[in-house]
Amino acid sequence: MFQNRMEALALALPAALFAAFVFLVPVFILLSEGFRAEGAWTLAPYVDFFDSELNRTVFWRTLKLGAIVTAVSAVIGYATAWSIVTLPPTARGRMIGLVVMPLMISPVARTYAWIVILGRTGFVNQTLVGLGIADSPIRFLFTETAVFIGLLQLFLPLMILSLISALENMPKDAVPAARVLGANWLQVFFKVILPLTKEGLVIGGTLVFTGSLTAYITPAILGGSKVLMLETLLYQRVTVANDFASASIIAMILMVMSFSANLLLKRLATARNKR
Amino acid sequence: MSSRLFSYATLSVVLLFLLGPFVIIVAAALSAGETLAFPPQGLSLKWVIKVFEVESFRASFALSMFLAIFGTLAALVLGVPVAYAASRYKLPFGETIRTIVSAPIIVPGIIVGLALLRYLVLPLDVSVGLALFIAHTALILPYAVRVVSASLDNLRSDIEEAAVLLGSSRIATFFRIVLPNIQNGILAAFILGFVTSFNQVPVSLFLSGPGVRTLPIDMIWYMEITYDPSVAALAALLAFLSISIVFLAERFLGFSRYV
Repeated sequence: MFQNRMEALALALPAALFAAFVFLVPVFILLSEGFRAEGAWTLAPYVDFFDSELNRTVFWRTLKLGAIVTAVSAVIGYATAWSIVTLPPTARGRMIGLVVMPLMISPVARTYAWIVILGRTGFVNQTLVGLGIADSPIRFLFTETAVFIGLLQLFLPLMILSLISALENMPKDAVPAARVLGANWLQVFFKVILPLTKEGLVIGGTLVFTGSLTAYITPAILGGSKVLMLETLLYQRVTVANDFASASIIAMILMVMSFSANLLLKRLATARNKR
Repeated sequence: MSSRLFSYATLSVVLLFLLGPFVIIVAAALSAGETLAFPPQGLSLKWVIKVFEVESFRASFALSMFLAIFGTLAALVLGVPVAYAASRYKLPFGETIRTIVSAPIIVPGIIVGLALLRYLVLPLDVSVGLALFIAHTALILPYAVRVVSASLDNLRSDIEEAAVLLGSSRIATFFRIVLPNIQNGILAAFILGFVTSFNQVPVSLFLSGPGVRTLPIDMIWYMEITYDPSVAALAALLAFLSISIVFLAERFLGFSRYV
């Protein structure tokens, strides 16, 4: 450990100044714009924003889809993580590799795949029409379901990974002990596994939830202008309507959500380190 | 036993859901048909070849490569000293500085892009290309600091202290002792930064100008105007590129130790 404080500052300052001036300052100015109307500080733009039914619909839809994606990925995540953790070490490593792989692929490519699958002439529709189940192609694209599927595929690996590490840190004999003492699997899950892996669930949940709220590509490609989410609404406000006031309000909403989730994560992380 | 069966069933369904779409993209990319379809109508490499012939793909690929390589290098040049100062010195305002340099990871990308467009590109007449470079550097900075910090924490600091006590200057100590020992961490940070920047969309969304468009943005534009399988071919190529980079990194560096 070196003691020279000036030397340390000199090393750290370039990056801090860079991040502050080209990044934080513009973002702060942008966010403050939502509190200004005709040169004065006010909350009126926020009131106006939530006055519009479209904006309210988009706001609740974003929250709702975020919550559903998080809940579903938690359920699938537990089943998958448990299945992986109980595998022998080599197979476990390979499975984790396969789960991580989609994270390396461009989200554009991953989302685009769903067009090939869910599109009018896509795989699902060809099968349905071919088997005579449907008379004509069903519209899957530009529905909330399509956005849900896309987001789930995008963020499920994050949930699985954090549940795997939570399950691995669980005491090895907790589950067999509960089983021997006569608990059924439902009781084992709610009374043993869930309490012992709560932190992993919260970490995974935060990542999935904020990821879903702030994803752009998936709602843009699979939802289009029919299923607007906060991010796609922001883009549309700027490019179509040149409405920077609304854009800055949406930006603020996204920031607050993302920031609170990260704060929660940080809290949990420090709480764990103290123990 | 039924729990074994449950495990295998779960894993097959989940892997099918996570990786199946990728298989379908590859199949669609190899189609001989004129429109996007699965199963493919005959096999052909024509859409893969078409990818290399589309002028705008070449230009946007070059831009994305430039941003990924030089944006990551710039982030490392800024980030390595911060990581070093934080781990080896009593850094004044350490917590504040760490928060500032890691802030870009928390702010949704679309906000960064819009903020830079509004308050850098438009009023100061900065070029879109420079704004993109700044945005990508800022975005990668948190990853660079985090990964390099992790590898500095794994390196015992007493050898540096010994070198300094024996009269080596701080700078010489850094370049002769610290740097060679953390080079794998730096390489891992480079790869993570490269992949993050290359696949990045929301930050670049507003920062496009005539002839200045990153590859993912170009793909989104292209798929809005045509329905041919060349985007599938491009998506498949990019996926292979990302996977092989990460696979090689894992093989030779043990990438996952740092991330």
